[in-house]
Amino acid sequence: MTVETLLAQALKALVSGLTMGMVFGLVALGLTIIFGVMDIVNFAHGEFLMIGMYCGLLTYSGLGADPLFGLPIAAVVGFALGVGCYYGLVQFLLRGPMIAQLFGTFGLMLFLRNLALLIMGADPRGVHHGALVGKSFVMGPGIVVELTKLTAGIFSLLAFAAVWWLMNRTRIGLALTATALDGQAARYMGIPTEKMNAFAWGLGGTTVAVAGALLVNFWPVDPNVGLLFTMIAFTTVALGGFGSIPGAAFAGLIVGLLINLPPIWDAISAFSQWPILTAGEMHQFKYSFVYLAFFLIMVLRPRGLFGWKY
Amino acid sequence: MEVLKRTFDFSDFPRTDLCVAGAVALFLLIFPLLPHSSFAMATMIQFLMFSVYGMGWNTIGGYGGQVDLGKAQYVGIGAYTTAVMMIRWQVPFWVSLPIGMALAVGWSFILGYPLFRLRGHYFAIATIAVSLVLKDIFEAWSFVGGARGLKIPLRTDMPSFLYLQFREDYYYYYVILGLFFVGLFYINWFRQSRIGYQLRCIKDNEEVAKSLGIDAHWAKIKAYAVATAFVAAVGSFHACYNFNIEPEDTMSLDLSVLIALMAMLGGAGSLWGPIIGAAVLVPMKNYLGAWFGAKAGLVGLDLIIYSTIIMVIAAFEPRGIWGLITRLRESRRN
Repeated sequence: MTVETLLAQALKALVSGLTMGMVFGLVALGLTIIFGVMDIVNFAHGEFLMIGMYCGLLTYSGLGADPLFGLPIAAVVGFALGVGCYYGLVQFLLRGPMIAQLFGTFGLMLFLRNLALLIMGADPRGVHHGALVGKSFVMGPGIVVELTKLTAGIFSLLAFAAVWWLMNRTRIGLALTATALDGQAARYMGIPTEKMNAFAWGLGGTTVAVAGALLVNFWPVDPNVGLLFTMIAFTTVALGGFGSIPGAAFAGLIVGLLINLPPIWDAISAFSQWPILTAGEMHQFKYSFVYLAFFLIMVLRPRGLFGWKY
Repeated sequence: MEVLKRTFDFSDFPRTDLCVAGAVALFLLIFPLLPHSSFAMATMIQFLMFSVYGMGWNTIGGYGGQVDLGKAQYVGIGAYTTAVMMIRWQVPFWVSLPIGMALAVGWSFILGYPLFRLRGHYFAIATIAVSLVLKDIFEAWSFVGGARGLKIPLRTDMPSFLYLQFREDYYYYYVILGLFFVGLFYINWFRQSRIGYQLRCIKDNEEVAKSLGIDAHWAKIKAYAVATAFVAAVGSFHACYNFNIEPEDTMSLDLSVLIALMAMLGGAGSLWGPIIGAAVLVPMKNYLGAWFGAKAGLVGLDLIIYSTIIMVIAAFEPRGIWGLITRLRESRRN
């Protein structure tokens, strides 16, 4: 391989990492909002994403529309799912000890996953046609940018801007922040904290379901897809700092790059002709880097990059 | 002598408990003599295995209150040590069992040191992350067979106690029953020992524990090592019982969670909790799975029922079945 193709390969991985990183940031956003407001870790987060992905898929295969029309549907379904889970399960879990919260949301995860298995079957399914699917444009010699990933990245940025505006410029967002900072004091100020908690779950569900509808354009969906994304979201949130919105966006980019490390490493190792871990051997450890990053961040800097709460 | 006395001292339980426990122990001892199907026998062996897993988890997760969701990696270490040593060097089970336990405990000390700087949710998620990394490594490592795993070849001298290879299941049953009783008496000693009290103090309030002069970090690492030894021992047994091990069934997150769940469902932090939890969940899982799995189009329904039970328990009685029993007793006394 010549130097140019290697460079192009590395650059392609870089671009893909950055665009996917935006989506990962959006996946983690919901988790960080929920965590920031009520100190509860949602193990079912990846399953919310899976439901968002199925929303996109079903608009495509059931209604015959472009998967992008799935976005508003996914947003509504995600909000309903989040609020439903809060009133149906989480408000009871909040009374118990931490272990109950862990297992409660874990049970929710198993429940949603197997419900999807029962209804949709185990086969992975993807979107094959659509306004964006399969199209790409060339940016320089050998650097191909897939339109689906680029659009997903741009939409994620827009969603981030919207959530940031909601949290900082509206009354309901300020009330949410107040609840996150000190629930009891917020209650004394007349903020309905129960409703705020439910709203946080709704908002979290919306963002992650939208991320799922964006993701389904280039990532096939099956009922077991959730766990990987739950772990990615945990890593992103830990890296960015629990409860921080700009942190989630920034950390998403880093995690996106981490997942695209193996192709970049292939380019480097082929270029420098190191004998260790060449040509594809790194690909098996694609996700290990994410898990390892989580462990190291938690041990070395539990506050994350932008965190205010831990 | 003092240690021995405490090991067999169950006097702080009410007499009804001890009668029930004695009846159950007698039933377990004579179970292979009763008429049973081979499916029931396999379920009983699994029940005993998960009881011992749960007892191990209970030391750190129940008495210590540190929710550990990465126990499967130690099951994997125990199982792989036994399998690799048996296949490559013909080492008997009873030699590789302590070696596997020692390796797992050593690894737990290395991990425990950084892990226990974390608390609560962060600890739980970090244990998951570490265990998944180890699983990825085992899936890529050709020495241990990669993702396809290892297969222990059958020996010609078949009923071999040394290598734990039998044709009939009841031999395995009595081996794991022996481990079960050893584990039970050890935990009975553990809960009345110095470290047992230290752990309960840490669970209630870590700051107070530290101010009383307890080295909380070290106590947790020790309890974590005890839990690991239990789990690795059953892992070794699992390798011999199944002949066939792969990373997906010995090291998956599902197994880690199942271990923790059994203990929690029965009642974390009590002697009988993990046993009750395993006695409820294992038969339910097996029979529901066999029942619905055979019918087409109902894949996943057994796990839906199962997860609903988990959610209900977590929401309404986080202390598990044992908590329910204690509450009933208290209400009857008043």
